[in-house]
Amino acid sequence: MTKTVRYLLIVVVSIWTLAPVAWMVSLSFKGPTEWYAPNLIPIQPIFDNYISLFIPTNPIGGSYFFTSITEPITKPVINSLIAAGLGTIFAVLIGFLAAYGVSRYRAGGTFIIFFTLLTRMLPGATFVAPLMVFYASIHFIDTYAGLILLYTAVTLTYAIWLMKGFIDEIPPEWEEAALLEGASPWTVLRKITIPLTKGGLAASALFIFILNWSEFLFALVISVTEVTTLPVQISKYVSAVGRMYGTMASLGLVATIPSLALGYLIQKHLVTGFTFGRVR
Amino acid sequence: MIFLSFTKWEPLSGYDWWHAPIGGVPRFVEAFGDARLFWALVRTTIFVAVVLPLEFLLGLGMALLFLGDFRGKKAFTSVILYPMMMPWVVVGLGFYLMFQYFGPVNLLLLKPVLGEGGMMDWFTNPVLAFSVVMMADIWQWSPLMFLIIYAGLAAVPSRLVEAAEVLGASSIRILRTVRLPLIRSLAVVALIIRGLEAFKVFDIVYIMTGGGPGVFSTEVISLYVYKLSIVYNNTSYACAVSLLIMVAIALVTRLAIRPLEVKVE
Repeated sequence: MTKTVRYLLIVVVSIWTLAPVAWMVSLSFKGPTEWYAPNLIPIQPIFDNYISLFIPTNPIGGSYFFTSITEPITKPVINSLIAAGLGTIFAVLIGFLAAYGVSRYRAGGTFIIFFTLLTRMLPGATFVAPLMVFYASIHFIDTYAGLILLYTAVTLTYAIWLMKGFIDEIPPEWEEAALLEGASPWTVLRKITIPLTKGGLAASALFIFILNWSEFLFALVISVTEVTTLPVQISKYVSAVGRMYGTMASLGLVATIPSLALGYLIQKHLVTGFTFGRVR
Repeated sequence: MIFLSFTKWEPLSGYDWWHAPIGGVPRFVEAFGDARLFWALVRTTIFVAVVLPLEFLLGLGMALLFLGDFRGKKAFTSVILYPMMMPWVVVGLGFYLMFQYFGPVNLLLLKPVLGEGGMMDWFTNPVLAFSVVMMADIWQWSPLMFLIIYAGLAAVPSRLVEAAEVLGASSIRILRTVRLPLIRSLAVVALIIRGLEAFKVFDIVYIMTGGGPGVFSTEVISLYVYKLSIVYNNTSYACAVSLLIMVAIALVTRLAIRPLEVKVE
């Protein structure tokens, strides 16, 4: 393969991957008159799309939109942060202890650990009906507690498998040496295991945060008005009265930025994450 | 949930679910006679069957393209990597915007090439709408395949490749007889995981078509179960269907997990 052909192909691939986002960036700076035009670079760049995310009644490029969206974006952003953040913290805490048990003491044998994998392989939609019945009877629908509990449960599998991989890398002899010196198991965990796996733990946490941040199905099901997360807000815009393409694009970009930023931070660990540490 | 799937209960029935009359097996029988469920299953299977090989081939192609050193490799790798970090909903949104009637695909690609008549109304034709959904999935997950395959190919000892070159093998032959067999177990793991994940597709379909055009022409299994539970409020039937799907997937996963137990480093 000659050099030129290779570069040509790489450029083609890059265009294919960049196109949808490039179009969204372009749309988000365009006024309504340009939404239906093919130019990639806006003729009159405006910021109104972003402003109207915060003030839904704001005119975009001079024209008013009749829309069913009344809620500014601030609340969904905060909701997303709360739900994804706390969900991540719980999943990491529980997941770390579970992973430690599995890795060091073979707790539960191989069955339990592969059983957690199974819960991950089932489509989330199959849990929706029983979940709604359950949540309705304990009044968890449309509450932060409900969302956080669910996020913790859903990402726990990832947490266990990811961190198990990181813990497996530390030779158990080091811990045994400390135990012989008279340290208690908790001290060993605190002084040896956690410092040594710090990088791995951070990567797992960030990965889980990205997953929670992007989660859509359960957020859609649980939120009525109180706990709409960003992805749910996006779906509201898509089905809203008055197609505000530019605003949709800007909202999509706002929702993407955190995951991209964190994603590049843990670029090395992404494959490990998506394959449950089966491939590393 | 198992209890519910044997009953005839809906949230609007007026009594609590534990008072529901036991309807017996008919809920499951209903599922076997449900044409809509059947087609949703078929559609999901088609989705996986189309998306998976394409993602694999694209990933393999990109991995081969990126093998070896060239200038700007790091930058290009970062560029083609980002789709898998995007929220699924936003991917759906991006393709939804691209394939609008006045979107760039129609105006920039089809109109200049095919003329005015070539512009397609993507989301009113079931086949076209479904292919857009597939495209979005391929767009998002080929990078993962790329990463996995690339890692595998890069780990193939270069002396094996060199030895084959000395023996006069063509580069295609090297790929077929030296490189691919060495990454086979890796590829199997990648395909299984990706296949099971693709079966769960929900977000991008919900955003782009909502199952339409029409009532259910692009409906996949997750979307159908979701609609049963939330939109149609048919809780106990949704439970029965969910249970059937769960059992089916549990069996598949049990079989699929076996190759996963082979440690891949």
